[in-house]
Amino acid sequence: MNRESAETFLRLLAEAELRDQLAPGPPPWAAGPGARRAKVMAVGQALTAVGALEVGTVEDILADFDLAVSVRQLRGRPGPGPAGTAAPAARPPGTGPVGQLRAKPAPRVAAQLRYGRSGPPVRPPRLSRSWMAGPTDPEPPGQDPDQGAADRFVPVGLTIPFHDEGISGDLYLMSFAHTGSGARFMAVWGIRTPLAQLRMGLQGPDLIPFELFTVVDDRGVRYELDFTPSGGLEWTGVISLRPTPPAGIRWLDVTPPLGPAVRIELDQGGPTASGGPQVSDVKLSPGEHLLIMLAEQLLTMAPEFPRDLRRGVAATSPGLLQAMTAALGDIIAGLEAADVLSPLSPVPARLAALCASLGVGGHGIAVPPADDLPEPWLSLLAHYQRRKPETAPVTEGYAAATAALPELDGIRLALLGVHNTEGISSLHVLARGMKAEGHPAPLGVDLDFPLSVWLRDSGGRWHAARPAGWHRVGHEYTARLRLVPPLTRSTTWIEVLAGGRSAEVRTKLPLRWGYPP
Amino acid sequence: MTDRPNEPWFGCLAPCEAHLPCGQGRHIVRWEAGALRLPSHADAEAELVLAALGGEKAKCVEVAQAWGRHAEDLSVLAIGPRGPADEIAVSWDDVDAAAQASGRDWSGYWAGPLGSPSHGPMRLASPPPAAAQAWAQVRQQQQMQETERAAQRRNDMLSLLALGYGFQVRLIGQVAQAHADRPDEAMEKVRPPLVAAIAGRLAPVAEEWLGIDPDQVVVSLRRGPGWGSVELTGRGEQRRLRVSLPAGWLGRVWAAGLALVGRHLVVAVDRAGWPDARVLALRAPGTEPVHIDVHASSGRPGALDAPHWEI
Repeated sequence: MNRESAETFLRLLAEAELRDQLAPGPPPWAAGPGARRAKVMAVGQALTAVGALEVGTVEDILADFDLAVSVRQLRGRPGPGPAGTAAPAARPPGTGPVGQLRAKPAPRVAAQLRYGRSGPPVRPPRLSRSWMAGPTDPEPPGQDPDQGAADRFVPVGLTIPFHDEGISGDLYLMSFAHTGSGARFMAVWGIRTPLAQLRMGLQGPDLIPFELFTVVDDRGVRYELDFTPSGGLEWTGVISLRPTPPAGIRWLDVTPPLGPAVRIELDQGGPTASGGPQVSDVKLSPGEHLLIMLAEQLLTMAPEFPRDLRRGVAATSPGLLQAMTAALGDIIAGLEAADVLSPLSPVPARLAALCASLGVGGHGIAVPPADDLPEPWLSLLAHYQRRKPETAPVTEGYAAATAALPELDGIRLALLGVHNTEGISSLHVLARGMKAEGHPAPLGVDLDFPLSVWLRDSGGRWHAARPAGWHRVGHEYTARLRLVPPLTRSTTWIEVLAGGRSAEVRTKLPLRWGYPP
Repeated sequence: MTDRPNEPWFGCLAPCEAHLPCGQGRHIVRWEAGALRLPSHADAEAELVLAALGGEKAKCVEVAQAWGRHAEDLSVLAIGPRGPADEIAVSWDDVDAAAQASGRDWSGYWAGPLGSPSHGPMRLASPPPAAAQAWAQVRQQQQMQETERAAQRRNDMLSLLALGYGFQVRLIGQVAQAHADRPDEAMEKVRPPLVAAIAGRLAPVAEEWLGIDPDQVVVSLRRGPGWGSVELTGRGEQRRLRVSLPAGWLGRVWAAGLALVGRHLVVAVDRAGWPDARVLALRAPGTEPVHIDVHASSGRPGALDAPHWEI
C-alpha cells in the first residue's frame, strides 16, 4: 500500500477540481462546487476505507478545499472588493475608513461560509455514522467477551397470541440466540386490534404490555423481557431475557397476558443449515473488495430510481444515481495509485458493465465494460429489466431459520430469520467482531459491515442483502439486512452466500414460514 | 547552477504594503526582506502583553500573529492563489463578519452527528455504561475544541488573504521554503501537499507556455542537486508534460512572478534581485536551460504586488 501516493492523488484531484472552476468559459461554479467536493470526498472516503489514508488527512484536505472554494466564491460578487491591496488611493470601493466599514454590515462571508453550496468550511467531525440507521456509538474499548463462548442459535417459529385490555395481537418468535452477551429472541409483533393512537400513528410498540408476559425456564427461573426495535422496522426487534439464563436450559415457557403458556424447546432441532456451511477461499485486494461493495450498493439502490433508468434507457437528466457514480473512475484511479487495486483487476470492468446495464453514464471508468458479470448481479439486473419487476406480491410473514457462519474477515455472522412486512423483506442477523468505526464511504456503503451477503431462493433468483439497521448489545450487533428484491413466501429454502476479502461461505437453509392470521 | 543555498529565497521579491483597519484608523502592514513589519506599532510585543492582561488586541498585531502561526502551514498552499488570474478578494468586512459568525453559532454544525440518534430502544436492555457516557463526554469536548480550532484557522486565513495578492504569494513562498530543505525522512508527510501546490501553480503556467491541457501536467518533487527536469512525452490524450522541480521553486520563482518570462519557463533563479535578476529558463521542454537577464516592472494597473518581468 502506498499511502503517500494515495494522499498525493487526492490532493491533485482537489487541485484539478478547483482549477476547472478557475478556467475561462463556464461561469464560475456553474457545475456546482458541491458536486466537485462530493467527488473529492468520495475518493477520500474510498482511500480511507481501504486504509490508505487516515480520516484526519481526508478531513484536512476537504477543509482546505472548502475554504479555497469559499473564498473564491466571493470573487465577482457585488460589494466591497479585495482588502489590503496597495495604497489607499488605489483602494477599491468599500474599503474605506474603519468607521465606514463598521457602518456596513458584511454578512457575505459568514453566509457563504456557513451555507455555501460546498458545505460548511469547518472540519467534519472525526467520527460520523456511516448511515442513518447505523451503529449509534463507536465500539468501546475492550476485549470481546463472547470469544470462545458456546453459542446457541435455535429456530423457533412459534406464534403466541396475547390479549390485554386495550390491545391484542400475536408475538411471532423467529429464533432464539444465546451468546456470551446474553439470550434473546428475534421477534415480530402483530397487532390485531389497533387502538386509535395506533391508527393515528401516535404510539409504537411501547403499548405492548411486556410486564404481563412471563418467561420461565425448565429450572423454574423467571425472566423479564426487554424489547429493542431492529433497525427501522418498529414492530420487529430483539426481545432480551433478563437476567441472562444459564447455558444448557432445555426449554422456556412464554406465557402471554390472558393466554396459555407456549413452550419453546431449545434442544429440539428445527430448520437449520443442511450439510453445514461450505467455505471457499477468495483473494480480493482491498480495492477490489471496496469496488464490489460499491457495485452491490448500486444494485440495491437502483429500485429507488426511475424505471427508465433501470431498463437501461438513457436518462434525459443526470439524476441522483448518475451524480453518485460520477466519482467511480477517480475512485478506481485512486485505489490504483494507492497500490490496493491492480491495473489488471477485472472488477473495474465489471463495474463499468454494471453502470452500462443500469443506464448510468459519466462514471469516468477508463476500462471498457466486461462481458461477464457475477451471477447474482445478472440475476438482479434481469429482475430490474423485467417489465414490471415490482409487481410480485410480498406477503406478510416470517420464517424461522438459523445458522452460524464461520468467521469472515473477523466477523462472525449468525442468521436469525427472515421477515416480510410492508413490501420489504429482511434477513435478521447477529454480528460479532464488527468494528463500528463509523467512517463514511462512497455511495453510502456501510464499512462497518464489510461483507457481501446474497441469498439465492428456491426459484434460483438472487437477492442482495444490505444493512438497513443496527442495534448493539455489548460487543454484538443485531442487524437487519434488507433483501433486494423482496423474497416471496413461496420460497422454501434459501442459500446464503456471504463473502469477505479472504473467503466466502455458502449455507443452505430450509424456511419455515409463519403468517399473520 | 542556481538557487544558491545561502541566498535568501525572497531575493526577487520587492517590498509590499497593505492598509488595514486597526483601532480607529487604518494602518500599514509591510512585508520586506522576508518578514512582516508593523510600522504603525512601535512595540507590538508590549501590546501583546497588554492584550493578555485584558486589553484589546490591535488588528495589525492579530494579523502578524496569524502570519506567524501559518508561516509553515501547508494549508496555505492549498487555499492561496494559483496565479495572478486567480483573484481571491476577501475584504476586511468579510473578515469581521466571519469572526462574528464563528463566535455566534458555528457550533450548531455539530448538533446533527451526535445529537440525532435515528432510533432508540423502548426499553434499554441496560443503561449506557458509565465508561460509555464518559467517553461520549470526552468526544463532545474534543469536537468542540476541533470546532474552535477550525474557526480560528478559518479566521486566520481570511485575515491573511485580506492582505491582498502580494502578501498571499509571499506567504506561499515562505511556507514552501520552510519545507523545502527538510531531511528526506521528514518529506513523506509534506511531499503530497508540496507536489499538489507546485502542480496547481505550474499547470496554468504550462498551459500558457505550451498550450497543454493543465490536467496533462505531471509534477514530482525534485530532491538533491540540480534544478530538475521538464520533458514532454506521449501524444494526444497520452501527452504529458513531466516536470520535476524543487519545493523552493514556489518561493524563489513562482511567488516572485517569474514562472514564465518571455515565453521561457523559469526553473530557477541564478542571481536574485529586484528589479533585475538572472534566471535559468527553458525555451522548450527537453532543452537545456539558458541563463536570462530579466527586469521587473509594475504589472497590472492597481496591482503593484504582481510584477511583470521581461527579458
